[in-house]
Amino acid sequence: MNRVKFIDRMAQGKVARRDMLRAAAAIGVGVSTMPLKARAANNITAMEWAGYEAPEYYQAYVAKHEKAPDFSFFSTEEEAFEKIRAGFPADLMHPCTYSINQFKDGGLVKPIDTSRLSNWPDVIEPLKTWSGVVLEGDVVMVPTDWGNSSVLYRTDMVDPEYMKDESWSILFDEKYTGRVAPSDGESNVEIAGLLLGMSRDDIFHMTDEQMEQVRPLLERQTKVARFYWTAQAEAIAALASGEIVAAYAWNDAVKTLTKDGIPVKYAVPKEGIFTWLCGLTLLNSGEGDEALTYDFLDAWLSPETGKYMIEEVGYGHGNRKSFELAAPEALAALGFSTDPTQMLSDGILFQPVPGDINTKYINLFNEIQAMSGT
Amino acid sequence: MANKAIAASAARAAPRPASGVSAFFLKHEWARGYTLLSPTLGVMIIAMCVPVFMLTAHSFWTQNYLTIDKTFTFANYVQFWEKEIYFKLLVKSIKISAIVTFTTVVLAYPMAYFMAFKVKKNKLVWLILITVPFWTSFLLRVFAWKIILGFNGVINSGLISLGLIQEPLEFLLYNPTAVIITLAHAWAAFVILPIYVSLEKIDRSLLEAATDLGDGPVSRFLRVTLPLSMPGVIAACLFVFIPTVGDYVTPKLVGGTEGIMIGNIIQSQFGKANNWPLGSALSIYMVFGITLCVLGFLLVARLITKGGSLKAS
Repeated sequence: MNRVKFIDRMAQGKVARRDMLRAAAAIGVGVSTMPLKARAANNITAMEWAGYEAPEYYQAYVAKHEKAPDFSFFSTEEEAFEKIRAGFPADLMHPCTYSINQFKDGGLVKPIDTSRLSNWPDVIEPLKTWSGVVLEGDVVMVPTDWGNSSVLYRTDMVDPEYMKDESWSILFDEKYTGRVAPSDGESNVEIAGLLLGMSRDDIFHMTDEQMEQVRPLLERQTKVARFYWTAQAEAIAALASGEIVAAYAWNDAVKTLTKDGIPVKYAVPKEGIFTWLCGLTLLNSGEGDEALTYDFLDAWLSPETGKYMIEEVGYGHGNRKSFELAAPEALAALGFSTDPTQMLSDGILFQPVPGDINTKYINLFNEIQAMSGT
Repeated sequence: MANKAIAASAARAAPRPASGVSAFFLKHEWARGYTLLSPTLGVMIIAMCVPVFMLTAHSFWTQNYLTIDKTFTFANYVQFWEKEIYFKLLVKSIKISAIVTFTTVVLAYPMAYFMAFKVKKNKLVWLILITVPFWTSFLLRVFAWKIILGFNGVINSGLISLGLIQEPLEFLLYNPTAVIITLAHAWAAFVILPIYVSLEKIDRSLLEAATDLGDGPVSRFLRVTLPLSMPGVIAACLFVFIPTVGDYVTPKLVGGTEGIMIGNIIQSQFGKANNWPLGSALSIYMVFGITLCVLGFLLVARLITKGGSLKAS
């Protein structure tokens, strides 16, 4: 579930020349300020997904301090985790609800004092206490960006029956052998559990027995799948060319393909649509000024940032005011309503999978992939 | 290697009177040898021995989620045999690499032969031309094949525009064959060059002698050229076989759901699955697997070349 968002957008040709230059400049600035860190020890360092260094995400911070944090980029949370554990002095990190656990378990997380965030009262109410935002009574992640995960399919290429009865099962259906692309990773274990009628909670805490129950379904999927995508751009390209008819995808993929005139629909599977939620976490490995980290979090939570994300990026935001601020057509294009609470509670939020169970999911998925074709 | 270097430097050292440091070096062969070797030796120790030592140490430890338990245990080695996937995957990876090696050598040999025997002028230009694809990164070469073999790729759109097929061929990409094709191209230069060098070294008078004694082109090739180029062929095989067994990028990008190799599992253990000790043990099994295959290969190669040179003499 690694989201190489900027690269994705770049591959889709969605990055304008200015964005590109800005990103290049940001990297340049980041690189050129690196040696300065020794002298100006109090600047903060944020570990980010590539693309999130754009100043639009934290305008208020730049306005106040006239500088950006130092950025260090990662492409998977595991990579970031290993780097921080190895002693990299980062102040902030951008994990998601499903990946926050290992940072907490690794003893890297610093609880967030929400009274120091002026935008906290405007955070969408249920998100304030969501599992992953709060762990063991502490707020460990400020919820910033969120969206859905569902099946994206070609309306002109699927069986018309499917459109009346949208389901995750298309990613496992032998009728579509060589025609579907799930994402690469353990989320398939969770989806398979959902298809077998396990509860929305159980799929994130499967017992060994339940894992054995999903195994045959996953084995079938490896035969059905054309490929497991590692960057969403792969799935988008394959959907556009007609190589596949359905794929696991995020909201922004719908926007891209519709803009190109490809007849696609974002399914609302009868088993439920997934919601992912990511945010910013304070780390105790940092050497930067703590007040700056709070300003940075607050800037991220501002409705202006949310407006930018909804309109330009295609994701939801943690602040409910952003949904009032954003252009209604942008919200409609993403399938969002002005009331994000409803949408969030309808979806199945990716919950943190406990470390040892997560390892079992990974091994199960690996094992099944490894066995296919031997 | 070390012994050779020492011997070579010893052979060149003429006894002549000297004093101080140079006297010390002149007196002690080993000192000269090791001094000459020292930069390489240093790099070897830092970049090879230390990681291998760490790998070995890790393989005897265990990891429980985030904490590494440093109690000595064979658990990881035992685990390899408990689940059939690891062994199967190792065998599959070795099989894929063996096919890659064979394909690459068969395809590259004519090219090397052509360069060694037919190209008379501008050999350097030919050599450079062969290495041109290698000026780009390995990853780009893999991506290039994705474009060539893809659904809307060069082959499919070419065949469609020729009217030979109506629908794009889907068996081209995302399977073990795609991995083999990609790897065979990606490593071609490492095969062409050693074979070219060994062919180039062949004394042309031997070929004339064979012709004089009544050998036709085919038997001359089989009895003289091929046996004499065997050192290059063997080197080429090792150059390709050893690194490709552990490759994980190529299977990830073009292998689809069936092309996964042992490298992918090892990578996952060091990354997502968070089990460095098991990853280490798997790596060590892989190294042993490769060693066994290489030893077997060298044994067979020796038997064949002996037989060949006997016939030639």
